[in-house]
Amino acid sequence: MQGQSNYEIRFTLLASTLVLALAGCATTSSPTVGGGNVSYGDSKAVETVTTDLGSTDIQMISEKMTQSLIQHPLIQDLIRKRQLLMASPVKNKTSEYFDTRLITDTILTQLQKSGVRYAIEGEDMQNQVDELRRQNQSGLYDKGKSVKMGRMQGAKYRIDGSISSIVKKNVDIKDVYYKMNLRLVEIETGIVEWSDEKDIRKSARR
Amino acid sequence: MYSKRRITVAALSLIVLSTLSVAAPASGLISSKVELTTSNDNVQVTDLRAVQSDRLLRVQAELTNFSPYNQQVYYRFKWLDKNGFTVWDDEPWKPMIVYGSQRQIINVSPPSLFATDFRLVLHSSQR
Repeated sequence: MQGQSNYEIRFTLLASTLVLALAGCATTSSPTVGGGNVSYGDSKAVETVTTDLGSTDIQMISEKMTQSLIQHPLIQDLIRKRQLLMASPVKNKTSEYFDTRLITDTILTQLQKSGVRYAIEGEDMQNQVDELRRQNQSGLYDKGKSVKMGRMQGAKYRIDGSISSIVKKNVDIKDVYYKMNLRLVEIETGIVEWSDEKDIRKSARR
Repeated sequence: MYSKRRITVAALSLIVLSTLSVAAPASGLISSKVELTTSNDNVQVTDLRAVQSDRLLRVQAELTNFSPYNQQVYYRFKWLDKNGFTVWDDEPWKPMIVYGSQRQIINVSPPSLFATDFRLVLHSSQR
């Protein structure tokens, strides 16, 4: 009886050691967790899954607009004078749903890397106002170490635009043409100081 | 990898201009500025020009399709500073069709004012 129990304990220990060793081998072969059905890809790769607006289109549009804007003397002047830019929402006139802020946010982020300063707009304003009120009106903060109300700065220029699409299809092929327009408007005068467009054609056999 | 005959025959030039100085074209510099990811001899970079003007680099590359068939190519630029460090994240690959026996021009500026040098990375599938 005693011998059989010892045998069982030894067998359990051996089995546990084997399981641990195998588990160790599995984790040291590659630093991943999961069954292998999910993998990471190149976020800059050309995406051709469908003709819908995709990551490559957004990236190409943003890049083209940033490159075009940065060449404009007005933007270089804006950087020198530390004036402010803002982005109004881009109108989505296509038949698809996507968040157009992806485009304007990317453009603003890329411009900022070259020294452009931008002010927040509509959707972000509520958070800004909430924080200003919290620091000034809640009575929770040390007045000497709180930000002051009434010191926000307005932008001199704003970016706005639209994206449209034309979809054609027959039994064999679906063809989609996208056109993105972007404009730089001087807010005080309403004058359009710069505009550019980027068009993309995507076709798929059905 | 790179057809030297075609490079020699084609008008190869890299012109680096500033607002004040103009450098003479230097031949053979294309290979130092172009990185090919595939060995497709059908599409070649046959002209490459760069101009530094008003703090901003401007680059023009001419791709020539030596075959009679349309070629799908993908390209992107790497933007570098004067010390060879990259000043920008990886660009997205951009698709482009070079029509059979035609030339296609790529005209770009870096998205950053800090870029003073570049590499053109070209990927083309053999057809």
